[in-house]
Amino acid sequence: MKVRQGWYLPCLVWGVLALPPLRHALELSMVTHMLVQLPALAFVGWWLGQTLPEEFKRKIAPWNRWGITGMVLVVVTVLYWMLPRALDAAISEPAFEIIKFITVPLFIGTALSLSWFQLSSIAQGVLKLEFWAMFMRLGWLYMVLPDRLCANYLLGEQRILGRALLILGSIWAASWTLRILFGVRWRKPRLLASNPSLSEKK
Amino acid sequence: MKTLLASTLLAVISLTILWVGTDGVRAFTAEEARRLEVREHPKPVPNWHLENQNAEAIALGDWRGQYVVVDFIYTSCPSVCLTLSSGMGSLQKEFSEALEKDKLHLLSISFDPEKDTPERLRTHLSHFSGDGEQWVAARPTHPVEKKAILDFFKVTVIPDEMGGYTHSAGYHVIDPQGRLVAIFGVEEYPKLQDYLALALAEGETSEG
Repeated sequence: MKVRQGWYLPCLVWGVLALPPLRHALELSMVTHMLVQLPALAFVGWWLGQTLPEEFKRKIAPWNRWGITGMVLVVVTVLYWMLPRALDAAISEPAFEIIKFITVPLFIGTALSLSWFQLSSIAQGVLKLEFWAMFMRLGWLYMVLPDRLCANYLLGEQRILGRALLILGSIWAASWTLRILFGVRWRKPRLLASNPSLSEKK
Repeated sequence: MKTLLASTLLAVISLTILWVGTDGVRAFTAEEARRLEVREHPKPVPNWHLENQNAEAIALGDWRGQYVVVDFIYTSCPSVCLTLSSGMGSLQKEFSEALEKDKLHLLSISFDPEKDTPERLRTHLSHFSGDGEQWVAARPTHPVEKKAILDFFKVTVIPDEMGGYTHSAGYHVIDPQGRLVAIFGVEEYPKLQDYLALALAEGETSEG
């Protein structure tokens, strides 16, 4: 798969995600809603960010030095979509569903792809750790909480989601440990690799 | 400089959105949000028509001028409806005076009208020694109306794995002007007691 295939492929995937059959299927369960649909939307946005013309990237660069502005956008958007009522609203109110399908790809995915590789490695580390800690905290919370957080999902779903978050977080932690202690490295797919044109201009 | 400006502006805007989106860091779940919303902005309740346990047509507007406590149930419910219904039973005992004076009415609305025939509603009331006069059980007569009622009260009903339902549960208080003024969760029964006692006492003094 070549990286520079233009913007139409991510848009096509976005359209497929937005069409009722797949959308409803993924929103039926809290687990697929949060761990499949939202990450898939963010990924589509990232992919779109990779296909943006250099011209555009050069234009916004002064507004996004070291990727700070982009990361502010990413963090608050993530925070917002972590609110249980936001997830409920997306299911019961069409307006919020539309907002979700726009903000998750653009404000999380695209903003990340334009900002992540400009961040200093310390900032990257802090954000990664914080994101991982969020997985573990939420996972634990969802497993032990006696009340339903989402009116549209069963308590059982919430517990499964909690367990899934803890498992994912643990896999992540293990892979970091291997990397730091034994230097094990996985090859990244080209789509996720950094964009050299941005990191040249230091 | 530009970056500083852009990121500060963005941070301010987005923190505002988060603030508004959580009602000032007070409501993180849809349930908390609906309780807070009616507290701050009472909503006039439309005059829906229902069918009660004696198969008579009733309307929510029939009890204008008194307080009404509404809960949502389905009679084959094995869990939270039992708690709700025994709560309604306790209200019936506790506020018997207000109920007799027609200052208060209790209403259980079924959101499973296909199964919950008037007969089943009658049986349900008798399980909790509901009298059927001051505590009425009723069902919507039309699917469209049922949806409108659930949407208005923001009661979310989802099928569970046992062939039943899981649903938002609470006591919904309608005031004498026919407005939805408060929602109490199942666990907030003592709060509901205090609220009603106070509200009914105020009604007494204003008439006195």
